[in-house]
Amino acid sequence: MAIGVLFGDLVKAFFTKPATQNYPFTKTIAPERLRGKLVYDPEKCIGCMLCMKDCPSNAIELLTVDKINKRFVMRYHPDRCVFCAQCVQLCRFNCLNMSNSLWEMASTSKEAFEVYYGREEDIAFLLERAAQPGINEPPCE
Amino acid sequence: MNLSLHPLILLLVFPGGLFLMNIGLLYEWADRKLVARFQSRVGPRWFQPFADTVKLLAKEEIIPNGVHKFMFQALPIIALTGALTAALYIPMFGFEAAFSFEGDLIVALYMLSMMTLSIGLAGANTLSRFTIIGATRALTQMFSYEAPFLLALLGPAIAAGTWNIGKINTFTGENIWLILAQPIGFIIAVVGLMGKLELPPFDAPEAETEIVAGALTEYSGRGLALFHIGKNVELVIGLTLVVIFYLGGIANPIEFILKSAGLFLVVSALQSMFARLRIDQTVGLWWRLGALMGLLQLLAIIFGRYLGEILR
Amino acid sequence: MTEAKKEKFIVPIGPQHPALKEPGNFEFTVDGEIVTDATVRLGFVHRGIEKACETRNYTQDMYLLERVCGICSHVHATAFVLGVEKLAGVQAPPRAEAIRVLAAELERIHSHLLWFGVAAHEAGFDTLFMYTWRDREVVMDILETLSGSRVHYSVNILGGVKIDIDQKLSDLIKKDMDFLEERTEHYMKVVTTDETFLGRTRGIGTLSRDRAKLLGAVGPTARASGVKRDVRVNAPYSGYKEFPVKMVIDQTGDLEARFVVRLKELYESYRLIREILEKIQPGEISTRIKRKIPEGEVISRVEAPRGELFYFIKSNGTEMPDRVKVRTPSLCNWGTITDVAVGHKLADMPMLLAGIDPCFSCNDRMVEIRSDSQPSQMMNWDGLRKYGIEYYK
Ligand code: SF4
Ligand code: SF4
Repeated sequence: MAIGVLFGDLVKAFFTKPATQNYPFTKTIAPERLRGKLVYDPEKCIGCMLCMKDCPSNAIELLTVDKINKRFVMRYHPDRCVFCAQCVQLCRFNCLNMSNSLWEMASTSKEAFEVYYGREEDIAFLLERAAQPGINEPPCE
Repeated sequence: MNLSLHPLILLLVFPGGLFLMNIGLLYEWADRKLVARFQSRVGPRWFQPFADTVKLLAKEEIIPNGVHKFMFQALPIIALTGALTAALYIPMFGFEAAFSFEGDLIVALYMLSMMTLSIGLAGANTLSRFTIIGATRALTQMFSYEAPFLLALLGPAIAAGTWNIGKINTFTGENIWLILAQPIGFIIAVVGLMGKLELPPFDAPEAETEIVAGALTEYSGRGLALFHIGKNVELVIGLTLVVIFYLGGIANPIEFILKSAGLFLVVSALQSMFARLRIDQTVGLWWRLGALMGLLQLLAIIFGRYLGEILR
Repeated sequence: MTEAKKEKFIVPIGPQHPALKEPGNFEFTVDGEIVTDATVRLGFVHRGIEKACETRNYTQDMYLLERVCGICSHVHATAFVLGVEKLAGVQAPPRAEAIRVLAAELERIHSHLLWFGVAAHEAGFDTLFMYTWRDREVVMDILETLSGSRVHYSVNILGGVKIDIDQKLSDLIKKDMDFLEERTEHYMKVVTTDETFLGRTRGIGTLSRDRAKLLGAVGPTARASGVKRDVRVNAPYSGYKEFPVKMVIDQTGDLEARFVVRLKELYESYRLIREILEKIQPGEISTRIKRKIPEGEVISRVEAPRGELFYFIKSNGTEMPDRVKVRTPSLCNWGTITDVAVGHKLADMPMLLAGIDPCFSCNDRMVEIRSDSQPSQMMNWDGLRKYGIEYYK
């Protein structure tokens, strides 16, 4: 039976640094394995589409520009992604990785949540094609 | 220190009215900050209570169905007025009290109780179940701490032989700190103050995990802001009273600040050290322990005075 | 006054209420401060996860089911994966099993500490709440460093695990376990000696052994009442065969006992984690598993932090399951609340609710139509669909 068992802790807490921090001003460094935003390396991809097939939230679409020359563009939706790293696990060619520095993804616009990965000319080509009415994008499913 | 100001200024600006309200908000910040530090948190920045109040004042006040409209709007004002009026009889910040007469201690104490009464009425006025339970608890709690708290403040008054707060202030300033002479009284006064202000662990009347916000659940906007300011003013007055009575009085502003800060530290540590008491536990504690101790203390003081007179 | 007396004074708690972190509705009929009747109404966060499982493949389901609960995410995935592996006739390598247990125990620590904080908050003991959550950050950081995410660790894949531990990590975990053990001992002291806290827990909400058995309580709630129910011990699964745990039992059955049981389970978890880190064998961490799972049915049971978690999986030989049924521990424990609530003070109710460590969103998966004229009825999918179309027409 006692009263005020926490007294010692109170004194200690009072004289030590707070456990919380002023978030946007001070940040802790994310651990190495942190699963942040997905990054894609178009050079290695062979277009097996496995990553797309098993993604639980349909967050990635692989758009084919030129199948024979292995030119693909990945449309990634960070807002749908659940950061499960299943795609990273599946890709046998290590094209996919999860960044541990890109994890602050708040945005006020929807555009920020549609990310294109690929060679620049391919992306430009695709966007141009999408802008033209009548010609549909290559099937992504 | 003596200050002669126009009575209207006394009432509206300093030490009543505006100044007191701002100091009240500053006290709220200090309270929140200290508790946060005890809990190993950063705590709010200094203008947080001001920002909150400004925001609340600017917001729409929603009057729920089924309430007595006039009462609903008048009660926060009455509560605040009560607290502010009480301040006039108390030598704040080391200055002399704005008004004083023999027996103003009783008046001040009753003015302070207006707050709880208003909260109780405000709770009973609305139809919500949370407010009704909150009001019942607030009033129950008032009946339990009021007597011991009064007894605890009577001790120094009897020792000083006067019911005038200003005179008690001079008496305690000249004599040994009463916290040493009447330690029980001091404890009861501090704990009673916490009960009066519904600070944890005596926050059963507004226990958020049980009854949302207690009696004030239906209040919003201006009414809520006024109640908050009233509470903060009461915090200022309560702390000042205890300092005057038990910590050797206040002769100048610096002494006031130092002593209040010291007391504040104790109060906020007590706030963060315990689990909330159930209302029946609170009542039991006060009547079984608080009141008895207070009475004993009082008897001892009276006996001591009597003895002193005989010896003289 | 006699008229008014007859009228029931019902205090509703929820669906939105500061005491509840998730939506649920409780109606307490009170007489003054004393509760005379209690009802529970759930279903505010029904998300249709079981149905959604039927339209996704097994890998996708695993991640979906992990999201049944935000606190015990790993056990849900584990229960599902164990079931699927059994159906497929695949055995995960021993190192993978050990890592699964490691993650499960780390999760148990974080869940119990979280619960401890919440329960302290319900008791109005905010300082204790802040301290436990501060210390919980330690285990959260471990989980983040280990798996890459604080909430959904996604440690499992079908046939094994994704992540491996190395010497550096294991040293870090051991160090943190020592720190947590010391803190837990301190909290044990607070819980069993602090007068104000005991006033809120000792002798409150006592659930006798027979009642607990009768009502089908599970997990720490049952164990605090002396019921020997722990899947890890009764039917060891996965790595628990290799790393057995001791069952923590208390006979009192009141809130204090539940605190004590959970804290003691923390000690057990610390011990187990150290043992795993000492004895873990090097080796593979995953095996291959076919995409198509052979036809069959399986029942998979694991011990979540809150009690027994039950999965039923039916496969029809394709890439997608035919039926997944989940029964979460919180659902089993609701009955105990309405049972013990009567006769207690209103102020005790939040504590009683917190006492079973409820998790609302896990257990909302049945649809019940309430109506005064008809008795309650169950609806199947087609009926429900028709009802919905009619209702919104
Ligand atoms: S991390 Fe998961 S959700 Fe995100 S893209 Fe990869 S598989 Fe899809
Ligand atoms: S799994 Fe890898 S190689 Fe296959 S499509 Fe995806 S990124 Fe390309």
